[in-house]
Amino acid sequence: MSPVFLQGIVGGVVTGCVYALIALSLVIVYKSSDVINFAGGEMVMAGGYLGMFALLWLQLPYTLIFPFAAVVIFIVGALFDRIVLTRVVDHSVPGQSVLVAMIIGTVGLSYVLKGAVRIIPYTEEVRRLPPFSSGAPIFIGPVVLQHQDIAIVVAALIIMCSLWIFFGFTIVGKALRAVSQNPRAAALVGIPVRRMSMIAWGIAAALAGVAGVLLAPKLLLTPDMGAIVILALAAAIIGGFVSLPGCIAGGILLGIAQNLIGIYVHSRAISLAPFLVIMFVLLVRPQGLFAGKFQARRV
Amino acid sequence: MHSAPSWPQLAWLLALLAVGFLLPHALPQYFLYLGNFLMMFAVLGMGLDLLLGWAGQFAFAHVAFFGVGVYGTALLQIRLGVPFVIGMPLAALLAGAIGLAIGFPATRLRVVYLALATFAFAEAAQWVFNSWDKVTNGPNGLRIAAPSIFGYRVGTDQTAFPIMATILAAMIASTLFLTTSKFGRAMCAIRDSEHVASASGIDVRGTKAWTFAISAVYAGVAGGMYTLFQSFVNPEVFGFNQIVLLLSMLVVGGLGTVPGVLIGVVLLGLFRR
Amino acid sequence: MTVSSIRRAPAAMAMAMALLFMGPNAQAADPGITDTEITIGLFAPMSGPLASFGLDPLQAAKMWYEEANKRGGIHGRKIKVVIEDDKCNANEVVAIVKKLVTVDETFIVHGGSCTAAAVAAQEFVTREKVPHVMLNASGDGAVIPPTRYVFGAFAGTQRTVGATLAEFAVKELKAKRIAVIAHDDDYGVANSATLKAVATSLGAQVAAIEMISPRITDVTAPLLNVRAANPDVIVSTAYPGPAVLIAQKYGEFAMMKTPLAQAIQGIPVPAAFAKNVDNDAALTNFYYGSPLNDLTEGPKQQKWLAMYKQYYPDRTPSAFMTYGLPSAMAITRALEKAGRDLTRENFIDAMETLDFDTGVVAGPITFAKNRRDGNRASIFVKFDGKAHTLMPGVYFWDGKIGM
Repeated sequence: MSPVFLQGIVGGVVTGCVYALIALSLVIVYKSSDVINFAGGEMVMAGGYLGMFALLWLQLPYTLIFPFAAVVIFIVGALFDRIVLTRVVDHSVPGQSVLVAMIIGTVGLSYVLKGAVRIIPYTEEVRRLPPFSSGAPIFIGPVVLQHQDIAIVVAALIIMCSLWIFFGFTIVGKALRAVSQNPRAAALVGIPVRRMSMIAWGIAAALAGVAGVLLAPKLLLTPDMGAIVILALAAAIIGGFVSLPGCIAGGILLGIAQNLIGIYVHSRAISLAPFLVIMFVLLVRPQGLFAGKFQARRV
Repeated sequence: MHSAPSWPQLAWLLALLAVGFLLPHALPQYFLYLGNFLMMFAVLGMGLDLLLGWAGQFAFAHVAFFGVGVYGTALLQIRLGVPFVIGMPLAALLAGAIGLAIGFPATRLRVVYLALATFAFAEAAQWVFNSWDKVTNGPNGLRIAAPSIFGYRVGTDQTAFPIMATILAAMIASTLFLTTSKFGRAMCAIRDSEHVASASGIDVRGTKAWTFAISAVYAGVAGGMYTLFQSFVNPEVFGFNQIVLLLSMLVVGGLGTVPGVLIGVVLLGLFRR
Repeated sequence: MTVSSIRRAPAAMAMAMALLFMGPNAQAADPGITDTEITIGLFAPMSGPLASFGLDPLQAAKMWYEEANKRGGIHGRKIKVVIEDDKCNANEVVAIVKKLVTVDETFIVHGGSCTAAAVAAQEFVTREKVPHVMLNASGDGAVIPPTRYVFGAFAGTQRTVGATLAEFAVKELKAKRIAVIAHDDDYGVANSATLKAVATSLGAQVAAIEMISPRITDVTAPLLNVRAANPDVIVSTAYPGPAVLIAQKYGEFAMMKTPLAQAIQGIPVPAAFAKNVDNDAALTNFYYGSPLNDLTEGPKQQKWLAMYKQYYPDRTPSAFMTYGLPSAMAITRALEKAGRDLTRENFIDAMETLDFDTGVVAGPITFAKNRRDGNRASIFVKFDGKAHTLMPGVYFWDGKIGM
């Protein structure tokens, strides 16, 4: 197998883990409030900038900037749900316009976050967060890997395992799953549905923020970084948008596909790939490549 | 069965036509330009409102059809010499056909998936506008030659203004016609509850798909209007920002009513100045 | 007496202004000229993501006009400026130019830092016969082929960028095989096409052209393709974000024995670039081009930096600040040459005779009857992450190859 092909695959796996992390954030929000969080990309961006702020201004050691960014974005996400979304739901007219308004709300949040970051003159130039781990690149055969790449994959694995444990074995996690399956029944059993929604948003936001700190060394910090959300959306859709392992598989598939398209078809076609994937999967096989038969979820 | 436009509505339409023909003699070109812009956006907004406000389908593909209208009308004229009065309807019908083709599979999807699929379609369309150099001249943009309508050259804001007003009046009339027709009531029924609509015998999938097609035709018409008063187009015009702007106009003005759309267009269109 | 004001005139005020201009000084042949004043409409992106391309150049141009006013104006007339923010958007530019011409009735319009936006106004200014002098936009689509009313490319067209990179790669770096990385937008299409044409005319072969999106986040595939093409020199015209990614990947793949040359649009602030790449080893064989006559902080640029500091002491200018000067200089020179009996047409005739050294950019600003791109020169700098070394020579595009 040619070294170019191998490098394409390995590189694709690494960037795929990145997309997968953000996709996880989107799916958690979706399972909790049925809403696509169009501000997911901006949460990633804000996490990256917060990480840089913590590192350079607050002089925190690198390992602490992860929880710092996570906590701050958690609060942003939870507050957004509590203050904006609940208001939107309360003032809604019966019919599907609720979701429309909520989605527009997330678009609004994305503009607010972007604007808030842009106001700071520091962000006028492209910046880079130093990587978590640096050092000479590692060679596995003909394939080159950076330390940061390995850090990303390891972090992604740790996060996925933690989420699996959280959702499967903790009370809060199980409560969240209950709410997403059937909010009425969950409320009847005594689960505080609104608070669960807030927590879900907070977790998803924190996830996005941590992804931002992981990604920023690789991608560069600009206020427009959030555009990566479209790739995360494509990854989530491939995975069926309901399962967490689906996200991961979707992300990796997408990362590899992008690289292979870039190498064997045309560099210009790379930017088209995620949109084709989204359209193809949704129009032909809406349940994603991994779920079973297409089922209606709610009446 | 449909009800004819009421007398107040007819009066408004006539007033619009009068303004369209009289105003160009009174105002500097800049204000006519703003007016043309708003009129085009009004048609674009009404089309999206049919889909979003009346049928309740959350779709992002509108700007793609707008692009088909602009490039279609302009290219038909530049490459094939097709005059505007034929070119614009053709481009609008092409947009409608694509809308129908997208509409049938897309309407199987639930709200958020529909939003995503149509958003992806809009981005893919923009990629095509940007990359299909031979046809659209890609990122360098396309120069639009001034169209002529029955021998009357339309290229400046002054000359375009009355034509734009006429087209707008026609589109408003057709919206009124449509929304008070049986088809319009079917759209409303679907928006309120698909299951009840289906149970009452409405062909839900067909209605949804045709709504897609009709709203795409509106977008195509708006695209043709663009070529009347603008001399240049590049793919940037059809990006995500435009979608967000349109949506904001509808949300601010009020979904589901013609005056609502018009108010939203005027408010947000002028606010940017 | 006043030099500038930013106006968002509601209809009534605009009408009043129009009436004022139609007052006693209506004998002037063209709008925007009175016995004591010339009104110029000035626009650039002053907000949004591209503000660094527009805000400082616009302020530099304004500064130049104020300097001219301090010396008594031009043939007894002082320059008054109306300023607008175009947000680098084609529709905004058209609206702004229409407003400046039909409501504020300025003599000429001076502005545009983004090409697509600047090109959008061409048909209008040509129809209304109003001169449009661009600010720092390349403006390829509007100056080539040249039309009477639009002057531009004071920092060089994208064709110049491509041509001079090709010349540098072949003549200085002795390249026989060149790999090109460019964006798939209007800039990239223009500069890569000319690069290829000039390289071929000099006997070199373009072994690979990678067209990437300006929003790209992962350059693994393009760099792999470039590496597989086995070039002698790699040339990139990418913007700041992707330029850093390319340099990083180039370092990761240890490709440093092949020189990498980057166009100016990707490296506005070399120090920040080096910090972002964070790998000085990757920059051991790295060059960048610049339309200026010296390094951004070099001795020839100091007088402009000092002047800017006088006028705007609270603002640290972006690297593009001085790019706003050549167009303003050309305008004041043409106004001088046109004389007291000033019209739009003899202003254009005067512009066409210009051929002067600005003290800012690498080559002279030259226009002619059939030439509307002012600057065709570029210098190159070797940069290792810390030190800049000016490479000898000034490189020119001949204006013919790759048209």
